[in-house]
Amino acid sequence: MPQATIPLRLYVVVVLYDVVSAYIVDSDPVLRVSGVTMAYGENQVLRGIDLEVAAGQILGLVGANGAGKTTLISIVTGLLPCDRGSVAVAGIDALAHPKRAARYLGLAPQELGIYPTLTARENLYDFARLAGLDSRAARTRTLEVAELLGLTDQLGLRGDQLSGGQKRRLHTAMAILHRPQLLLLDEPTVGADVTSRAGILKIVRAMATEGTAVLYTTHYLTELEQLDAEIAVLDGGVIAVHGSCREVVQRWGRASVVLRFTGPAPELEGWTANGSRLTPTHPVTDPGAAAAAALVALGPQVTRLVGLDVARPSLESAYLAITGHVFSEEAGSDLAA
Amino acid sequence: MISRRSLVVARISRQLLLTDPASTIMMVVMPLILAPFLAPAAKAQLQLAGYPAASGGDQIIPGLAVLFAFLSTQLVGTLFFREHAWGTWNRLRASPASTADIVLGKVAPLYVAQLLELGVLLSAGWLLFGYRPNGSVLALALVVATFAAMLVAFGVMLVALFSSMDMALVLGGLGGMVMAGLGGALAPVSSLPSWAQVAAHFSPAYWALNAMRSITLDQAGLVDVAGSIGVLLLFGVGFSAVVAWRFRPAAVKIGTT
Ligand SMILES: Nc1ncnc2c1ncn2[C@@H]1O[C@H](COP(=O)(O)OP(=O)(O)OP(=O)(O)O)[C@@H](O)[C@H]1O
Ligand SMILES: [Mg+2]
Repeated sequence: MPQATIPLRLYVVVVLYDVVSAYIVDSDPVLRVSGVTMAYGENQVLRGIDLEVAAGQILGLVGANGAGKTTLISIVTGLLPCDRGSVAVAGIDALAHPKRAARYLGLAPQELGIYPTLTARENLYDFARLAGLDSRAARTRTLEVAELLGLTDQLGLRGDQLSGGQKRRLHTAMAILHRPQLLLLDEPTVGADVTSRAGILKIVRAMATEGTAVLYTTHYLTELEQLDAEIAVLDGGVIAVHGSCREVVQRWGRASVVLRFTGPAPELEGWTANGSRLTPTHPVTDPGAAAAAALVALGPQVTRLVGLDVARPSLESAYLAITGHVFSEEAGSDLAA
Repeated sequence: MISRRSLVVARISRQLLLTDPASTIMMVVMPLILAPFLAPAAKAQLQLAGYPAASGGDQIIPGLAVLFAFLSTQLVGTLFFREHAWGTWNRLRASPASTADIVLGKVAPLYVAQLLELGVLLSAGWLLFGYRPNGSVLALALVVATFAAMLVAFGVMLVALFSSMDMALVLGGLGGMVMAGLGGALAPVSSLPSWAQVAAHFSPAYWALNAMRSITLDQAGLVDVAGSIGVLLLFGVGFSAVVAWRFRPAAVKIGTT
């Protein structure tokens, strides 16, 4: 009996290996992108992207227009081939087996994709079926998802009878029907009103809580603060900065304090005058404290003070600092004048 | 084997076809409007050709059926290009459905529509214009089924070859008319100039009409038209080969909604 002759030590090693590898598989991120490069002809858009999104995590992918966010999402979803690198979705090599990987992902592309001549219900039901749900589950999910996105009353309307924001919500709804492990939302809140936007964010958060890995792009950075997302800044073809929202804001965010006066701004140590405005010469960490200290230091001059603007460090200021488009005070004062 | 996903795509395609039936209906109604104007001349022509008992419908019904079947391949192009304009093409592609699932699913209802169009037209011809296929009805059905399949492959080939919807529709329409005309859809091939009679052999319409004509006028059976069916199949396989070679799911296509 060959099995009986396996030495105990080897057996222990095998068991250990099984345990450890099972653990590794379990803790694998739902999406792993490594070393992805991609060029459109001469235009080298992605220069080696490394990204991971774990179950339950929301990753906010931000970057300027043309930075390559949609290109990266298209590569992950098998719509576009990349030049080099690897993509794994739920442990499946998505470049080699895009159709197997497709079962685990839900995509709401940047461009609207709904059938205008079919009703909202048909759009939802059909894509639920396409994602693999049976007819019964598809009907149930159609109602659930419509409810989630506030489209219940619009189910009977044709796609082209919906308003712009309703279309966008339907478009987003079509991505979550099959409860994908990986949800890719490319600017889902464009054109959505305040309520719709809040609704979409709520759903994203709920799905993440249920364990969905979410890759989310947006140009409205406050959304990512509200989602408390991980942030990845795509700049120059690479992920320039990666970290939690708080880390990024702490490391890169700039607080701003502006004191406005009637007439020319007085001289004050540590502050720079600019016309009728005073701003801190060096970045401040606590803008409220800096403003208070300035008020005390101003003495009698304080009577000329007509305005005080304080802004805590925000993701937006961090983003601007990272991408090098730091807000220019001159441009700001022109606008204020 | 037909996958479950291609059935879902077929379902979508059928819904799209049903929500916009105008062009399908036109393709049946137009030939029926033209038929009474063309029938008398066709009858005279057939009598000169030695078929004293033939009706005008025996010539013009198969002819118009073939011509308009070619024209309705535009619907194949329209339905593909619109997916691009609607942004749904990438959604289909990002789904677990394979390219083959998507293409087969999309064309299946178009094939059925094509069969229905031909069936309705031939039946209306029988009812209204004295069209009498005296040979094997089974043979006729096989010719029609093969011809329709070949046409669907032709339509998808247009999608594979052209990146703009206008281009595909215009060239497809012109090409279809030339092929139908050469094949004898408007006048018997024997009445065409001799170079055209030679060129006719390169048109699938010729083989379809040849078979339909012999079923109608010469009481042909399955064996008699097997050769024509074979040639139609070859054309279909040829068009499909071009599709397999040139169809790029990721290609950028410019369609209008
Ligand atoms: N099909 C294409 N052919 C050629 N170049 C393309 C194509 N699609 C995108 N590009 C180029 O690739 C770059 C990245 O585009 P991409 O759409 O990925 O940017 P993005 O980050 O999503 O921008 P946005 O915020 O505007 O959506 C751009 O410079 C764009 O011009
Ligand atoms: Mg984009």
